[in-house]
Amino acid sequence: MHFFDFGLSIASVICVAGVARRIALWWRPTTKPVSDPRPRPILSAVKALVLDVLLLARTVRTGPLRWLAHCLVFFGFMGLLLFHALDETVTVSFFPAYESTLDPWQFLRNLFAAMTLAGLGLMIYRRLAVRRLRAVTRTQDWAIVLAVGCIILSGVFLEMSKIISPAAYQRMADEYFYSDNGQEVTALKAFWAHEYGVVFSRRLPSDAATLEMGAELNEDNCAACHADTRSAFLSRSLATALAPLSPAMNTSRADTVFWYFHMIFCFIGLAALPFAKFFHPLSTPANMIARQGRRDGDAESPLAQRMGMDACTRCGECSVRCSVAPSFSVLGNPDILPSEKLASLRRFWSDGSLAGRPLADFAQGSRICTECLRCTDVCPSGINLQDLWMRSKKEVARRSPDPNGAVRLMRPSQRVVSFEDCNIVPPISGLADNAESYWACVQCTTCTSVCPVVAVCEDPSTDLDLTPQQIMNLLRMGLKDQTLGARMVWSCTTCYKCQEHCPQNIRVADVLYELRNTAAARMGCGDRAGIDGESQ
Amino acid sequence: MRYAYFPGCKIPHHLPEYGSSVEAVCAALGIELVKLEFNCCGWPVRHENELASIFSAVRNFAIAEEAGLHILTPCKCCFGNLKYAVSRLEEDRKLALLVGSLLARDGLAMPRSMHVSHLLTILDEQVGVEILQRHAATPLTGVKVACHYGCHALRPGNVTGFDDPLAPTLFERIIRALGAETVDWDLRLECCGHPLRGRDDVISDALMRKKLEGAASAGADVIATACTYCQLQFDKERDLLPVNAALRQAPPAVLVTQLIGTALGLDSGAVGMDKNNIPWHAPIL
Repeated sequence: MHFFDFGLSIASVICVAGVARRIALWWRPTTKPVSDPRPRPILSAVKALVLDVLLLARTVRTGPLRWLAHCLVFFGFMGLLLFHALDETVTVSFFPAYESTLDPWQFLRNLFAAMTLAGLGLMIYRRLAVRRLRAVTRTQDWAIVLAVGCIILSGVFLEMSKIISPAAYQRMADEYFYSDNGQEVTALKAFWAHEYGVVFSRRLPSDAATLEMGAELNEDNCAACHADTRSAFLSRSLATALAPLSPAMNTSRADTVFWYFHMIFCFIGLAALPFAKFFHPLSTPANMIARQGRRDGDAESPLAQRMGMDACTRCGECSVRCSVAPSFSVLGNPDILPSEKLASLRRFWSDGSLAGRPLADFAQGSRICTECLRCTDVCPSGINLQDLWMRSKKEVARRSPDPNGAVRLMRPSQRVVSFEDCNIVPPISGLADNAESYWACVQCTTCTSVCPVVAVCEDPSTDLDLTPQQIMNLLRMGLKDQTLGARMVWSCTTCYKCQEHCPQNIRVADVLYELRNTAAARMGCGDRAGIDGESQ
Repeated sequence: MRYAYFPGCKIPHHLPEYGSSVEAVCAALGIELVKLEFNCCGWPVRHENELASIFSAVRNFAIAEEAGLHILTPCKCCFGNLKYAVSRLEEDRKLALLVGSLLARDGLAMPRSMHVSHLLTILDEQVGVEILQRHAATPLTGVKVACHYGCHALRPGNVTGFDDPLAPTLFERIIRALGAETVDWDLRLECCGHPLRGRDDVISDALMRKKLEGAASAGADVIATACTYCQLQFDKERDLLPVNAALRQAPPAVLVTQLIGTALGLDSGAVGMDKNNIPWHAPIL
C-alpha cells in the first residue's frame, strides 16, 4: 500500500536520524575533566535492567498510584507494540498459528489498549490533582499523553468500524466462503449480524433455524481464523454504544477513514520519538542501566551526565518533593524546582541560548538549591541530579552572579550609589527603615569591637567599606541606600555577636540580613529593566 | 522520648556520618527518631528573601504538628532558623497571616505550637548526664576536648533560649560525662566562618584559622562540633587547604555524636570516624 510504505519510510527516517543525533550528542567532546566513577560489577547492570527498567522499582517508591499508572501504560503499550504492531515479526516467530482475529490475540489487543488508556487516565488525573505538578506541566507533557492516547483510541475505533462493516465482511466472505446457495449466504450474514455485530444495510432474518444454519457455516468456514468479536470487548462495546451511527459510518467507509487515522497517529508517534520527552522510553532505560541501581550523588563522567539529562521523563516527582520548593511558592521562579532547572541546565550547557532574565532565574534556582540529595534519591529515572547541580553551580554563578557576587564586582564608587534609583522593598522589611530601630543607639562601637569579621581584617575601612557601627549610624540618619553595597553587609557571618552584646538591644545582625534582602530585591528590579531595554 | 528527626539538607550528601552517628547514638540512648519528609529549614535562603526563609521554617513545624511530634535537629543553623521563625511570627501578626495563607495553599494548617530542640539539649535534659556516664563503656579518659558551640544556637539568646549566650556550659557537661576533659578555650563561642563560604572565602578562611589556632594553643586534642556546617568547615573545607598547610596539624574536628558513639562503644561503621577527612583516633588505654 503506497500510503503506508510512504508514511512509514518518512517516519522511520526522522526517527532513526533523530535518535542517532541525540545519542551522538552524549559523546560530544568535552573540556570538563573526566572523572572515573568507581567500577561496579556488570551484574548490577543486569539487576538494574530487571528491577528498575522492567519492574519499575524506582517508581514504586514514589507511590503506588504512580507505579500503577506507569505499569499500565508501559506493559499495555509494549504489549501492543510487540504483539500487534510488530506481529508479523515477533508474534509469528513465537506462535506460528497466529491470526490477529483469533483469541487470545483479539482479546489481548483490547486488554492492552484498556490498560494503556486506564494508565493515561491516572496520569492525567495526577497532573491535574497535584498542585505543584500542575504548575510544572508543560505542552510536551500533554503532547505525549495525547499522542499515545490518539494511537490507542484510533486503533479501538478502527477495530470497531471493521466489526460493523459489511464491506469488511464481504472481503472475508469472498476469500473464505465459497457458496452459490443464496440461503446459505443469507444465513451466514444473519449469524454475523446477530452474533458478531456486523451492521448490514438490509434487514436479515433472525429466526432460530437460519441462525443455526449460519452457526454451522461459520464453524466450517470462518471459526478457524476468526473468533467471536465479543472478546474484543472495547471495540465491540464501542460498536454497541455507537449503534445509531453505524449505517452512516458504513456508507462513509469509516473503516478506511479510521485506518488512515490510526496509521497517521502511529507515524507521528514514531517520528516524535527523538524529540523532547518522547525520547524517554529509550534514554531512561539506558540511564538506569548505566546507573546500576545507585542513588548517590557521586561525580559522573560527562557521558553519564548527558545521558542523565536526556533521561528526564518530566514526571515532576523531584519538584513535588524538593526541599526548597517553599522558596518557589514565595519567589515564583520555576527554576527553583529540579525538573524545570534541568531543562534550563540543558539549554545552559548545550547551545548557550540562556541569557537575560531566563539566565538570572536559572542562576537563582541554582544557588537556592541546598544540595540535599532528595531529587536524586527520589528520581524514578535514576538521574544523578545532585552531580549535575554541583558540577554546574560555579559556572552558573560566574555567568550570572548572585547579589553578593554582583556587589563584589562593583567598583567602590558604584557600591555607594548603585541602589539609589530603585525603591523595591523585600516582602519583609521595616527594621532598617524604621527610626525606632536606632533610637537607643549611642554609637558606643560595641558591635564593631565584638565583630569577628572586623577582627580578622587588617584594615576594615578598605576591606569592609564600613564597620557595623558606621552602618547603624548611616541607617539612623536615613541613608540606607548608601549602606546596601558596603562589603560589611555582605561579609557579615551572621554570628549575632553584635546583637547579643549591644547594650541598647539594637538588632544589628537582623538589620544586616534585611539590607541583603533589600539589595537582592533591587538587583532583581535592575535586571528586569535591562531586559525591557533590550527588547525595545 | 520520640521526636521528628530534622537532619537538615547537608547531612544526606555532604555529611552522612553525622546522620548515621546521630541515629546510632539516639537508638542506643532510647531516643526514637521519626523520619518525616521535611523541607529546608530556610536558613540558606534568608540572605536572599526572608519571607521564603520563614515560610520554609514554619512549613516544617506544620508537618511536625500533623505527626504530633516535636522537632529534634542536630544542626545549629537549622535550629537557629526554626527558632528565629517562631520569634518572628510571635512579634508580627501580619507576617503570621501571610505565612498562614502560604501554608493553606499547600493544604497545611498554621501550627498551634512550634517546638524544636537541638540534640545537645535533649541529651542534657531528657537523657541526662548520669545515663550518659553509665552507658560510656569506653570512656574518653585523658582526651582534651575543645567544645565549639556554634553561633546560631547560642545567639540571639532571647530567641534561641539554648543556654546562657555569654557563658554556656551545656556542651562541656555532655563531653565530661563521657570521661573526657574540656579545655578552657577563649574562642569557643566564636563563629566557625562557614556562613561566609562562597561569599567571602578570604574571611571564612581567616575565621577558621583563628579558631583552630586558638584550640591548639588551648591544648585541645580535638574540637567537638554539634553542627553540620561547623563540622563541614573544620573538616571538609580545611581538607581543601594545601597538603603542607600547618593548619592541618591543628586539632581535628569530631562530631559530638562520634565522640558519644565511641564512648558508648557503638558500631564504628555507624559512628563513621573513618569518614572524617582530618582523622582522629580515640586513644587505646
